Amino acid sequence: MLEELKKELKALNAEYAKIKTLPPEERKNFGVEMNKKKQAILKKIEEAEAASESDNLEPLDLSAPAAPNSPIPTFKKGSKHPLMTELDRVVDIYQSMGFAVLEPRQLDDEFHMFDSLNFHKGHPARDGYDTFRTKEGFIPPAHTSTMQNRALVKYKENLEKGLPIAVVVPGRVFRNEDVDATHEHTFYQCEGIYVSKDATMGNLLGIFKHFFSTYYGQDLRIKTQPGYFPFTEPSFELLIEKPKSLGGKGDGWLELLGCGMIHPNVLKAAGINPDEYKGFAWGGGIDRLAMMKYGLTDVRHFESGNLKFLEEF
Amino acid sequence: MLVSLNEIKKLVQIPADITTDELVKLIGSRLVEVEGTIDWSERYENIFVVKVISAEDIEGTHLHLCQIDAGKSEPVQVVCGAPNVHAGMFAVWIAPGAIVPSTWDDEHFEITMRPLRGYDSYGMLAGPDELGFDTEHSKIAEIDPKLNIAPGTPLKEVFDLDDVILDIENKSLTHRPDTFGLIGFAREVAGILGIKFEEPEIFSSELDAKLKSLEKSSNDFSIEIADSELCARYTAAIFETKDALEAEKYLTADAIFLAKSGMRAISKIVDATNIVMLMTGQPLHAFDYDKFVAVGGGKNPKIGVRLAEDKETLKLLDGKTIDLNHDDIIITSNNIPVALAGAMGGESTEIDADTHRVILESATFSLYNERKTQMAHGIFSEAITRFTKGQPAVGTRPALAYCIEKLHGEVSSYEDDAPGFNTKPEKITLSLDDINSLLGSDYSASVVKSTLENVGFTVDGEFTVTAPLWRTDIHIKEDIIEEVGRLNGYDNITPTLPLKPMIGAERNQLFDLKREIRGVLSDELNAHETLTYSFVSKALQEKAGEDVEDSYEIVNSISPELQVFRQSITPSLLEKVHDNLKAGFSDFTLYEMNQTSQKSLGLENILTPEGADSHGTPAIENRLALVTTGDFYQAMAYFKNLVEALHIKQLFISYDHAGDNNVIKDVKGFQKPAYLEDSRYVAVFIRTEDNMQVVPLGYIGEIKRSVAKKFKLEDTVSVFEISLDSLTRANRSDKISLNFSKFPSTTRDVTIETEKPYYDIECAIKGILEEAPDLVYSLEPVSVYKAETNLKKANLSFRLTFANTKKTMTSEEISDIMSKVESIK
Repeated sequence: MLEELKKELKALNAEYAKIKTLPPEERKNFGVEMNKKKQAILKKIEEAEAASESDNLEPLDLSAPAAPNSPIPTFKKGSKHPLMTELDRVVDIYQSMGFAVLEPRQLDDEFHMFDSLNFHKGHPARDGYDTFRTKEGFIPPAHTSTMQNRALVKYKENLEKGLPIAVVVPGRVFRNEDVDATHEHTFYQCEGIYVSKDATMGNLLGIFKHFFSTYYGQDLRIKTQPGYFPFTEPSFELLIEKPKSLGGKGDGWLELLGCGMIHPNVLKAAGINPDEYKGFAWGGGIDRLAMMKYGLTDVRHFESGNLKFLEEF
Repeated sequence: MLVSLNEIKKLVQIPADITTDELVKLIGSRLVEVEGTIDWSERYENIFVVKVISAEDIEGTHLHLCQIDAGKSEPVQVVCGAPNVHAGMFAVWIAPGAIVPSTWDDEHFEITMRPLRGYDSYGMLAGPDELGFDTEHSKIAEIDPKLNIAPGTPLKEVFDLDDVILDIENKSLTHRPDTFGLIGFAREVAGILGIKFEEPEIFSSELDAKLKSLEKSSNDFSIEIADSELCARYTAAIFETKDALEAEKYLTADAIFLAKSGMRAISKIVDATNIVMLMTGQPLHAFDYDKFVAVGGGKNPKIGVRLAEDKETLKLLDGKTIDLNHDDIIITSNNIPVALAGAMGGESTEIDADTHRVILESATFSLYNERKTQMAHGIFSEAITRFTKGQPAVGTRPALAYCIEKLHGEVSSYEDDAPGFNTKPEKITLSLDDINSLLGSDYSASVVKSTLENVGFTVDGEFTVTAPLWRTDIHIKEDIIEEVGRLNGYDNITPTLPLKPMIGAERNQLFDLKREIRGVLSDELNAHETLTYSFVSKALQEKAGEDVEDSYEIVNSISPELQVFRQSITPSLLEKVHDNLKAGFSDFTLYEMNQTSQKSLGLENILTPEGADSHGTPAIENRLALVTTGDFYQAMAYFKNLVEALHIKQLFISYDHAGDNNVIKDVKGFQKPAYLEDSRYVAVFIRTEDNMQVVPLGYIGEIKRSVAKKFKLEDTVSVFEISLDSLTRANRSDKISLNFSKFPSTTRDVTIETEKPYYDIECAIKGILEEAPDLVYSLEPVSVYKAETNLKKANLSFRLTFANTKKTMTSEEISDIMSKVESIK
């Protein structure tokens, strides 16, 4: 084939030489014609040459992991912890909504854990939190609400400027309970705090609905359930309809947050006038979101440091 | 808490168009978290009240051959082993095909016809245990013949068993002691249905008048309350009773009422106090009058309420003698302890078969003390559960009267001491706007008014709201707003998003930095992010060479494994390295970002408002620790890659440690960790962005051989642990310099034999290259070689690439540079 094309080219070149014998007025047309033919042959030659190069390749088993006698290519990859990924994702949505981020301190005190949150000294509500304590009386926080007072104090100048306080607190909390497949003494929560002149409970419902609709990428119905927290009044719990991504079919509800309108005493403790400003706060667990997402049934994997687990993420 | 819907329906007229399902949903969304429902509607199918016609002994057995009248044309034959079966009695028959009610939730045991000792037995005569009302197994249930029940009547019709029981999450009612009785619960149900609750008459006006006349009119007994904070109100009555302790012979509606609440029938007096408690939320306690007087001496009872003293003891009804403490409230007879108030009675005044006079107590006690008593002595009864919610003082007298009437008691004396009972109701003024602006709702004044009035509030104008005395939780206007929002359903409030100026939120540098680090270590490099507990064992700290005394110690830790707050992260990771090596992994890298603390770092006073009872909290260090199964250079490579990715321009590495201590001792928490090999670690420093100071970042090194052994690590493991707080302050520059040359570049390898450290040689080469005018260059290490014959000297090989930015370099210029480089020693 290639040989024939080359012969053809030779013949064409020979014919082209006739150009000198032609009258000058015919030469131009003849040259253009001949050149067209030449280019067509040259293109065919190029194609034929390319095809023969590919034909010369050794046959390969494409289902094998590597070429014969070659090292198998591997890429070692790292992993982010699923709880941190989830926490990041949650915080990312809140940040996009304009919330600042404060992280809790893993050793805190009675004031931030209880007093500043309107828990009366010795009140049985304190029992519900199963707190650890150090010899000095410090408390590894049992909820991210330990940061409410600090967040309110830190950002209260926003209010004077006519801006709201909008803060989320993602972080590690602790409860004194025995560990099993569904209980961990160490887990993660994310708290939200919003204070302004005209904050309403409708806003709290709105933020919750918007957040989880964004989080699950689906417009979700929400509902409430009365609850009790000393630091919010009214207090309640928020539920969302089970999202499609978790196998929801329009029934079934997930209880995800405890929340309410910030109690006037909590605002007062931070030096904010409750007659002038109102706010709401909410808090929910991160571990459960991650467990539902990945279909995990044992919460103990999270702190296991087991590479078999970590490599999955 | 278990709540029977049928009992609620007796107190509230539920509209016919509301199904049970809807009612449960409404209760769940407007009153309390319903953990589950227990449906009794099918549980008592095919179970009947029957009359035993004859019961003959089957010889040689404990069995009886019975013929029963089940309302059919023919008698039914049943074999029964119970000793109390006898002709003429009314019993409960589980017909063939029925499920034994007590097995309903698990094995679902179906009764069939079966032959017993040669006799066909059709179904069974049931005991209270099989019916699920009690644990009593020794006899069959007997129905009072006076009830005149036609044999064959379904049991569920006789005893209202077509019911749904709600399992209530108590925690969500912690602040609502008034709802811990059916009356209070029903009042709320009426409220959420928009119905005005009609308060039931629980005792007669005659008794009311009698109690009034008796109060303070006799000197039969006295009540002395040491402190109104401990006991706001103590009411007590003395009355005669017969067979107080005798258990009810028959299966009664009361027993079933108790069963529906998860309690069981015990004796007439105990049952009466329990039923009153379940109805009103107010627990009662009965003392044997004569014993009470005998313990105290003298003629008349002298009831005292006070705190116990630390050395006092008390023998309780359950036979245990407890050491009282100064937080326990006790009831005394002439100052001698006879009961642990709210928790349990004492053995010395226990009601028994001979009791004929009773002192009945109905009182409130400080919920704070009750809580401590509950914790100290581990008592978790239905009664103390209610006391720890703080029962309202207003309920004591009605509950007492209710119980007396229930027992048909003839009251001879009555006292009411109420030093802490605030009879002035809480009055709260608020506006419609207060309500709607907090909720984001649009309720009318009339809706607000009726909502509140339905559950016992008085509303004047718009609005002065007077709370009923049983609502001890109402103090501020938000409490009223909650009632309006909750009873009308928060779900009816429209979700809206707040409007706020479009101003970006302040960034959190540390949080952002951690995100960046994750992106580098996990996504660009191949490290695995790990989380481990913040609490570790003392043994772990000792293994790592840390000073355990410097750790914050948890006093109520779950186990010794979690006893102290960690001082560093590396030891926790070393444990995980061991676990993973054992699991067969090799060549891996783990890292963790978390908080650490040490007592010696002192306290930090962060944003605590004035007047707050807070004096600072332990100083916290945010750290990053990375552990890799390789030598020093591997940990260093991770570190250098990280630092480069973060664009940290000014990094200082102290190879010889001269002067480290001067810098490092000023920085909290950073001393060379004892777990690092002395000859194989470096300290690293950065320059801060704010004041351009050099501050230490942390350490990179190999784990000391002796420490590795304690962690059962055989091969070399290397780590770095650095301060993220310092890293957030680092001078980072995103600027890059693009000094290209368009002229040809030259690449040469060079090997230098030297006794000096690599760093010195590298600096020397760079010095030569920097000196040459208009030169751009790169310098890459190629190898470090030491001949076994001469370990003093190393051959350091580099690859140099350079070009002039203004012209093509001549071979003379190139060899001039190379000869200078090659002459380095």
